[in-house]
Amino acid sequence: MSACQHVSSLACQHISISSHCSIAPLPHRPIASSPHRSITPSPSDIQSHHPSLLILLLTILLTIGCRSQDNSFDLIAERGTLRVGLDPTYPPFEFDDGSSLQGIDIDLANAIGEELGVSIEFVWFGYDGLYDALGTRQVDVLISGMVIIPERQRDFAYSDPYFNAGELLVVREGETAVSAMRDLNGRSLAVELGAQGHVEATVWQKNLGDLTILPQETGDAALTAVLDSQADAALVDSITARLFLGRNVGLTAVANPVTVDPFVIVVNVEDEQLLDKLNESLESVTVSGQLTQIFAKWFK
Amino acid sequence: MIRSFFSSKPLPILGKGLLFLILLTLLQPNPVLISFGDPQTVETNHPIMAVHTRLTDEVEEWKIQRTLELVREMGATTIVELFPWAYYHAADGGIAWEHPDLVINHAHAQGLQIIARVGLTPDWARPPDTPLNYLDANSYADFATFTAAFAERYEGKVTHIIVGNEPNLSFEWGYRQATAVDYVQLLATVYPAVKAVNPDVMILGGALAPTIEPAGSPWGLNDLIYLDGMYAAGGADYFDGLAVHTYGFKFPPDSDPDPELLNFRRVELIRNIMLDYDDADTPIFITETGWNDHPRWTKAVRPGQRISYTLDAYRYAEENWPYVESMALWAFRFPAPTKSYMDYFTLVTPEFINKPIYDELKAYATGN
Repeated sequence: MSACQHVSSLACQHISISSHCSIAPLPHRPIASSPHRSITPSPSDIQSHHPSLLILLLTILLTIGCRSQDNSFDLIAERGTLRVGLDPTYPPFEFDDGSSLQGIDIDLANAIGEELGVSIEFVWFGYDGLYDALGTRQVDVLISGMVIIPERQRDFAYSDPYFNAGELLVVREGETAVSAMRDLNGRSLAVELGAQGHVEATVWQKNLGDLTILPQETGDAALTAVLDSQADAALVDSITARLFLGRNVGLTAVANPVTVDPFVIVVNVEDEQLLDKLNESLESVTVSGQLTQIFAKWFK
Repeated sequence: MIRSFFSSKPLPILGKGLLFLILLTLLQPNPVLISFGDPQTVETNHPIMAVHTRLTDEVEEWKIQRTLELVREMGATTIVELFPWAYYHAADGGIAWEHPDLVINHAHAQGLQIIARVGLTPDWARPPDTPLNYLDANSYADFATFTAAFAERYEGKVTHIIVGNEPNLSFEWGYRQATAVDYVQLLATVYPAVKAVNPDVMILGGALAPTIEPAGSPWGLNDLIYLDGMYAAGGADYFDGLAVHTYGFKFPPDSDPDPELLNFRRVELIRNIMLDYDDADTPIFITETGWNDHPRWTKAVRPGQRISYTLDAYRYAEENWPYVESMALWAFRFPAPTKSYMDYFTLVTPEFINKPIYDELKAYATGN
């Protein structure tokens, strides 16, 4: 039995998040200035009258020094393998088909590996254990439908987004009157009962005044309601929407997502060289159309 | 260009800054005056309904008040809330009561019963480099002193006190092997100290984590084995009620209990142990329960299932568990998003948007 079977109220986790790291205060800078203030202070002036400026300069130099010493990607290139942590229980992004790992994140990781000239080693963890695995350097990166958690940015860094998993508004093809949530006044909106789209819809219902929400058992049922003209639109998460649109004709997603929930790659915060390389690779597979092809392959 | 009133010279930088600050001060709205107001009258058909709030880290008073208003409007009668010893009690003996005063007085003003969970050890009461959950026998008396002061201060408002949290998990026991004997010793220290100053407050023991970890596991110990150990160590003399955590995970609420399985009806296995020790009269307070609808957490269900399972769980408890006095859903609302599966246990978002499950529970509890 794993520790994941516990459910703790996480009091301590919360406290550790809210704790503050101690930062030594900068030396106090005297307010009174000399009547003969030098316009171009000499180094000794800086030292004697502007200790905070000196510390700032030193900090910048040290930071630049640290950056140049980061060889996180060099080490990976030397090893020849990028270790990718993931929880393969989230189709179509990552899943085990019984014989191998499959999905968008698998294809994306392999494409990045090609860009970087390294092979990919996938290492499985439970979703709750992914950050610990990265933090303890059992893996180099996480590519597993990860979202940005602001509180973790002290220890981890996030790549540029490669997918928006937020809520999408879906209408029938040819529908020109609905291009955003604000166009739904006087209309009906199908949602999955209790899901984020339902929560978002209740907010819009209050704002618009005349929006009818039609909760359905599943996201697919909400989309089917639009297809069957029982609802004017559906608000569902983009994964559900894109899977459904890939299998059915007659519906289309409006261009702008209603909410934004980006998927990103995660690295340890000090691995700036690796992060730069990952972002370059992401841009490359995006510009080349490879990422679009990967999505097209799995969202059908 | 800004110029001074009495000369044509431009104001110096310092003067501009000062002027800006003065203008900013004038533009600043008056602080919001918050009064406790009259207690809310909410008719509930299901007084068993309770929620575990998370106001410990909620700073703004209006948010504390709004949270508790929503709890009461939903039809819940009771809250469970954490009051961390470590936050309030200084090494010199001083206790900062300001925040617990806010939470407890606002909850009381809403007519809510308060089950207080007291725990987490201040640094002065534990060895260096130990976590907040670390509480050893050297500090049991200090913990008892604080808990007694808490019980005395909030007499008539806090009606139940839970001693600690999930002591059968190593994590919750300061990353040490969790033993029932140690926990009973803690109860035996706290119980008489609290009763001496507030005989009416009910001391709740347990609050064990549902787990099937075997003996010797570094993570924790099976809650059933641990509870048996508590009774064997004479723990029954030191609690008036048993706090129980039970989660449904993937299973519907009527799924049969099984010692090798974690589901909602694990409560019945716990009750059987109480009966084995002739403790039928001690009530159970479920202080954490619920289902989760995170899209990918492996123990989550679909959002619609979460709603129906939760409502069915209340029905089941009311019909079958006369010994359960209260059943609190984890968790009502977090002050800020956790950006993890934890967000999918809540009933209300940090921005005070009621989730559909809130509305369904409200309709169930109030009949509206």
